[in-house]
Amino acid sequence: MTSATSSAPQTAVPEIVVDSAKPPQSGWLAWLTTTDHKRIGIMYMVAAWMFLVIGGVEALLIRLQLAVPDNTLLSPQTYNALFTMHGTTMVFLFLMPMIVGLANYIVPLMIGARDMAFPKLNALSFWLFIAGGIVFYGSLLFSPAECGWTCYAPLSETAFSPSNGVDSWIFLVHLTGVTSFIGALNLFVTITNMRAPGMSWGRVPLYVWTMLVQSILLIISIPVIAGAVTLLLTDRHFGTHFYDPTNGGSPLLWQHLFWFFGHPEVYILVLPGFGIISEILPVFSRKPIFGYKAIVAATLAIAVIGTLVWAHHMFTVPLPFFLLVFFMLGTYLVAIPTGVKIFNWIFTMWRGAIEFPVSMLYSLGFLATFLLGGITGIFLATFPVDWQLHDTYFVVAHFHYTIVGGAVFALMAGIYYWFPKITGRLLDEKLGKVSFALTLSGFWITFLIQHSAGLSGMPRRVYEYADVNNLGLYNMISTIGSFILALGVLLTIVNIVKGLRSGAKAGPDPWRGNTLEWFTPSPPPVNNFDVVPRIRSVEPMQDIRRQIARQDRVPEEAGTAAGS
Amino acid sequence: MRALIRSRPAQTSLLGAIVVVGCVLAPASTALAGVLGPDSAGGSPNAEGIRSLYFLIFAIALIIFVGVGGLIAFTVYRFRARPGVEAQQTKGNNRLEIGWTVGAALVLVLISLVTFLKLDQIRNPPNSDANGVSSPRNASFTPGPAKPAIPPNGRSLNIDVTGQQYLWRYSYADADTNSLNNVFSYEQMVVPTGTTVSLRIRAQDVQHSWWIPDLGGKFDAVPGYTNYTWFKISEPGVYRGQCAELCGRGHATMIASVKAVSPAAFRVWYAEQKAAIAAAKQDAATARNALLAKQEAAAKAMPSEPAVKAVPAPAAAIDGKKIFVAGVPATGALACGSCHALKDAGSNAAVGPNLDVVLKPDNAAMIKESILYPNKEIAKGYAKGIMPLNYGKTLTSAQLNALVKYIDEAVHGK
Repeated sequence: MTSATSSAPQTAVPEIVVDSAKPPQSGWLAWLTTTDHKRIGIMYMVAAWMFLVIGGVEALLIRLQLAVPDNTLLSPQTYNALFTMHGTTMVFLFLMPMIVGLANYIVPLMIGARDMAFPKLNALSFWLFIAGGIVFYGSLLFSPAECGWTCYAPLSETAFSPSNGVDSWIFLVHLTGVTSFIGALNLFVTITNMRAPGMSWGRVPLYVWTMLVQSILLIISIPVIAGAVTLLLTDRHFGTHFYDPTNGGSPLLWQHLFWFFGHPEVYILVLPGFGIISEILPVFSRKPIFGYKAIVAATLAIAVIGTLVWAHHMFTVPLPFFLLVFFMLGTYLVAIPTGVKIFNWIFTMWRGAIEFPVSMLYSLGFLATFLLGGITGIFLATFPVDWQLHDTYFVVAHFHYTIVGGAVFALMAGIYYWFPKITGRLLDEKLGKVSFALTLSGFWITFLIQHSAGLSGMPRRVYEYADVNNLGLYNMISTIGSFILALGVLLTIVNIVKGLRSGAKAGPDPWRGNTLEWFTPSPPPVNNFDVVPRIRSVEPMQDIRRQIARQDRVPEEAGTAAGS
Repeated sequence: MRALIRSRPAQTSLLGAIVVVGCVLAPASTALAGVLGPDSAGGSPNAEGIRSLYFLIFAIALIIFVGVGGLIAFTVYRFRARPGVEAQQTKGNNRLEIGWTVGAALVLVLISLVTFLKLDQIRNPPNSDANGVSSPRNASFTPGPAKPAIPPNGRSLNIDVTGQQYLWRYSYADADTNSLNNVFSYEQMVVPTGTTVSLRIRAQDVQHSWWIPDLGGKFDAVPGYTNYTWFKISEPGVYRGQCAELCGRGHATMIASVKAVSPAAFRVWYAEQKAAIAAAKQDAATARNALLAKQEAAAKAMPSEPAVKAVPAPAAAIDGKKIFVAGVPATGALACGSCHALKDAGSNAAVGPNLDVVLKPDNAAMIKESILYPNKEIAKGYAKGIMPLNYGKTLTSAQLNALVKYIDEAVHGK
């Protein structure tokens, strides 16, 4: 800053002169200190996949224990700790960071921004997530929580869970909660303020729309779970009795608070998936999305209704009859916008020219799987039927169909779709298709039969069961399926490692995409865009391609005219 | 589904579609129970109601799944990229979109209607059969925030179900307000067939969930709250279930069963249980009295009695009538007259037998025996265990003798 005084007095335009720029850091230090949304996004995704592997191993151990009736492989204590860690890991340490990571990378590129609105907050958000993961898995050194990912009070109170495992769970929820909250604020501010010129709300890509709505849901629901676990913490350590019925507290308070977060959480996990699918289907059908406005409206409707139906997780507790009816009908209402979306996606493909790269296959896997997950949701929303199905393997099957179908398959599609953008290299399509086939079939084998296990009377969260009503057969099928599923996921990891090393060069736009991220080189430079084009539709890349074609044609036509 | 969406030749996809639909439909026609629907049969009308509601929704759901799934499969197959075919650049169709929004809403209205039609059978208990068993009228549950499940005529067998780590306890309501003398059992509940059984479900430590699949849905036992459900079993047998809400390490072993027997067999079982409880109580009382008598004897035998103990006053100085009418409040000896009728004392209470009548054949020694050990011989029509057993302790021997003398004279004349 040697400027102002020495410069000539007639200089009207203020300028900043820099003596020297810090040389860019390199190696691991550059990653640790980065505030670049792309690097933070990559770190999020890599860490999330590490937790996916951990959560997956926990799932396989659970399935091994349940493979045969009356198994003694794991102790009840270990088993309860495993399903607690599996659920918590998959929700808080795999899906949420994976979604945030992908959005961190893709959203600024899609809207033509050069970074997130608050880059340092973005980095803080990432490191808090890592801290949450370490605090939670630190409990492995003493005694992990055994109360399930829902940690119902009073089971999670000190009287019944004296070990500090529950405390580490509470701190995980706090730390990853702060991660999600400030991440959501960051994304919200970025999307509302930093869009490319011309990108009015009617031209925002659908993935960005879903991330915007998802951010709002997080901002609404995260403070509630943060409050709920804080009350649990004070109950456990500072002598309060919020959830202690023997001193006037209420166990149902925990359930209401937890599910007021827990149900919107479902949409927090699947809405981004809806967005990814809404980007991929048009590209590979070579058609515009069918009913853009309807899909945006459906997204908003799902968010609003989804915030008001939490007690359908509580149909079996003592509730007044009118509440049962209210929450049943409210839950039915969610099915309408969801159904609208499914039809819009199908009609996006209708009369298209559909291509089948791996990301499209995963999108179709998403459609089929999520369809069944949505339909079984109607059974559970009907409270008398839920009385029979609640807390059985039918529910386990249902939420895996919605979450794995709605979120994980969509994220897999997103990985295969955006990997070339992030790394500049293509993934192996053949290996990807094998991986897809194993993942999808493994998933259906594992979880379809679990509906039957639940209908035959098997409750969830039991470490052993008697061999009645074919339960032994059902569980063996499920366990076999889980290993096929695991192999499928493993092959995608192999594919990613292979792609990083020796994948074919992708170029800026390998799929002929519709949105702005395909405008910049792969991987994008630090500043993302040298020039941000003016946006004229939902599909800016189509506009640009058309314009280039026109420009190419003009001299051509001129040439032919001259020649004739 | 996998077969549907591969980019393989057309025939494979079509074949796959047929195989998948076939796989869904074939078992539907043969073995519905357990695989595609709740595995509960022949239990209770509410379980039957849920089961039939499930299958009604299942039929609608199957049509939607096959319809929409088929549409996806057809679209993917029919509009796969082929050389020379261009994608049609449609951006939407308002009529179509309004159509499927309304369509989805109508399907949900249909499901709601079906549910409300079935609700009565599932929620509201019917009356017991003519030979059904019912709890005494004053043993009915008092309504809380959730409503007790009571049949229209108000006659049901009422059982308290309490969950605790990792055990279910059942207590059968009876006429008195004392729940400690109720018939109870753990893990297996015995009930009569043809009887509407109303359950009051509570928890004592953490949350549990009562669930016997054949006898209706789950009802959570939440500490601090009360939940209610019911069942009515037509066929004798054992119906099994288990706790359905994670309650700790022993959750998987917290099993429950309901054994349904004929009403006659149930009455026998109930009477046996009641008698066993009374006998156990009597044994305990006898042992306690024996212990007290021993202590008293030991105290008497001791020559240097502590000064604290009052020196017994001469028998003549003690007013037996006063003890009969007012008791000895200082030691907690209750007044005889507050429960027993005795003409001479002017009392006409009817909790215990009329002493003018029942003591007529007894001499003084027998009267004394009856005061000290009231359960030894019980007047016809009266229950054991109601009269206090502590007169040997609360009255000094002089007071007791004065009381016996008074009663003896009052009944037989001086």
